[in-house]
Amino acid sequence: MKTCFEGGNQAIMAQQSSSNRGAFNAVVTSNRQVGQRLYRLRLEFSGAGAEPFSKLKPGQFAQLDVSGTALPPVEKIPEDLRDPCSRKILLRRPFSFTDVETQGNKTFVDLLYRIVGPASVRMTTLSAGNMLGIIGPLGNGFWVPQGKKKALLTMGGMGAPPLLHLAKVLSVSYPDIEFTAFAGAKTVRELPFEGRLDEISQELGFALREFAKYGAQSQMATDDGTAGFHGPVTECLSQWLTTSTWARDTTIIYSCGPEAMLAKVAEIARDKGIDCQTSMEQMMACGFGVCQSCAVLCRVSGSNETVYKLCCEDGPVFDSREVVFSS
Amino acid sequence: MTDQTIDISVDFAGIRLANPVLTASGTCGYADELGDFVDIKSLGGFITKSITLKPRKGHPTPRIVETDSGMLNAIGLANIGLDKFIEEKLPVIREMSIPVFVNIAGETVEEYAAVAERLAPEKAIAGFELNVSCPNVTRGGIAFGIDPILVTEVTSAVKKTAGEKVLMVKLPPAVTDISVIARAAVDGGANAISLINTFTAMVIDIESRRPVLANRTGGLSGPAIKPIAVYLINKVYQEVAKERGVPILGMGGIRTASDAIEFIIAGASAVAVGTATFIEPGCAAKIIEGIRQYCARHNVANIKELVGSLL
Repeated sequence: MKTCFEGGNQAIMAQQSSSNRGAFNAVVTSNRQVGQRLYRLRLEFSGAGAEPFSKLKPGQFAQLDVSGTALPPVEKIPEDLRDPCSRKILLRRPFSFTDVETQGNKTFVDLLYRIVGPASVRMTTLSAGNMLGIIGPLGNGFWVPQGKKKALLTMGGMGAPPLLHLAKVLSVSYPDIEFTAFAGAKTVRELPFEGRLDEISQELGFALREFAKYGAQSQMATDDGTAGFHGPVTECLSQWLTTSTWARDTTIIYSCGPEAMLAKVAEIARDKGIDCQTSMEQMMACGFGVCQSCAVLCRVSGSNETVYKLCCEDGPVFDSREVVFSS
Repeated sequence: MTDQTIDISVDFAGIRLANPVLTASGTCGYADELGDFVDIKSLGGFITKSITLKPRKGHPTPRIVETDSGMLNAIGLANIGLDKFIEEKLPVIREMSIPVFVNIAGETVEEYAAVAERLAPEKAIAGFELNVSCPNVTRGGIAFGIDPILVTEVTSAVKKTAGEKVLMVKLPPAVTDISVIARAAVDGGANAISLINTFTAMVIDIESRRPVLANRTGGLSGPAIKPIAVYLINKVYQEVAKERGVPILGMGGIRTASDAIEFIIAGASAVAVGTATFIEPGCAAKIIEGIRQYCARHNVANIKELVGSLL
């Protein structure tokens, strides 16, 4: 099959077009600050990327090329990030998505990003009309096993975005599944939500707007007690499991966040005998399976051996029983 | 001069490459993993991930870290091992119709020779690239590549078992005189040389005061090393390759066709693209087109005219 370039949105198509991923260009439609060091970027695919990204599953990710994006003026860069920002960007950066929407033959995707280093600082200067190179959709995404009635979405810090996407998909495609969100952060200002904890309705009580709009209960937890439950989100989850009604076989936990949190959730799931999917994260160079950088240590079932799987190809979502957590 | 009349094919130690651009070991999988992004048949050739006799798990993470215009990698030669390679990847390679070189790594001379021996009868494999220079393994790797006697030893041991296969030795750059190592490889029977591999380097997290990589050090690749690669390729071309009639496969930070042309002018008969593939998986294909356009612009009818044409 020949290499072909397609109009304004270039796609290099290859022999395995059935694989549904590729290198595309997307156009920025909006990029706005929504919290402390937190931004929401909306991208539009209107060419070859529209179809693959319309099928983006919650928990999948894409590799963004921001190497050509300008730095903001130095006064706008947080002081602690000025030195790291002095270097050029080479590699793409992996991002998961918080929403996907199709409108006609266009696909819009939203991602939330926090400013943590030279690439994310550069992203703050993106504006409507800018073009970004995107490789994806990548990875496996969360899956919904048969027979589940309750889903517990457990997120820490910037683990929230893909679970927000999952919440949308569950509410639309799995109306029989009742789900509750447990969202934690070190402190209230680090919760990656635009909406505040408000009394949404009699039914839902205090809830995060992001989950309330899908008709879901939610609980917040902050390590320092500045909002919601005072303590780690894992304790909040534990407490809920102790005081609520649920059945082992029909319950599932989905988790995304810092590895220490994921390890603790996996432990809780194991103790209670609940299925649990965990979204792992590893440094990636390519993101599509050739560099072998993003190794996740996994158990080999039926033996004491361990093997490295790839976060980008075998994950990023794993059955939590499989993963040997580093913490 | 139209693109169609320009001949960018290369006779590389008896192997015909349709064009001078290959993908480098460790950046393109074992066979057709890049197929989602590029038409593999359009490449000049392909070099597999390093294969060792037994499977290797590789290092703990973090295995990579970005640097200014580069990256460090300490993958630890993670690979599926020879048996699985033969079982799962060779059938795919047989369908690939472009020259495929298998990169071989080992901890002992015997291991290199054993891998070569098992693969020598395989028609689909054009040749071997000996990884004597990988700096990420605590035994084997760097120890071979910096010692000319060991380089000659491992090259001649593999030569005995490699049959008719092209034998290419990949040189480590961080040596006192790379020409000494190049000569040692040719003396051992190498019919091609590839250079450069990565440089051992380190990145420190100043908050934790620890190296970022789990392995502490890693190999530096990417645009940062390109000028050094160009210099070393030219050096080896002038001092060894030209007079011994051995072609050079040049690599080290190539991202664009202009980069590739620099390497060819310096003395490379063909080039390999590595790190750039991570960022732009189709870049090897773009580089091929760009080389054609350069030749058209400069009235170069045959790419051979450019090789080592540094004035």
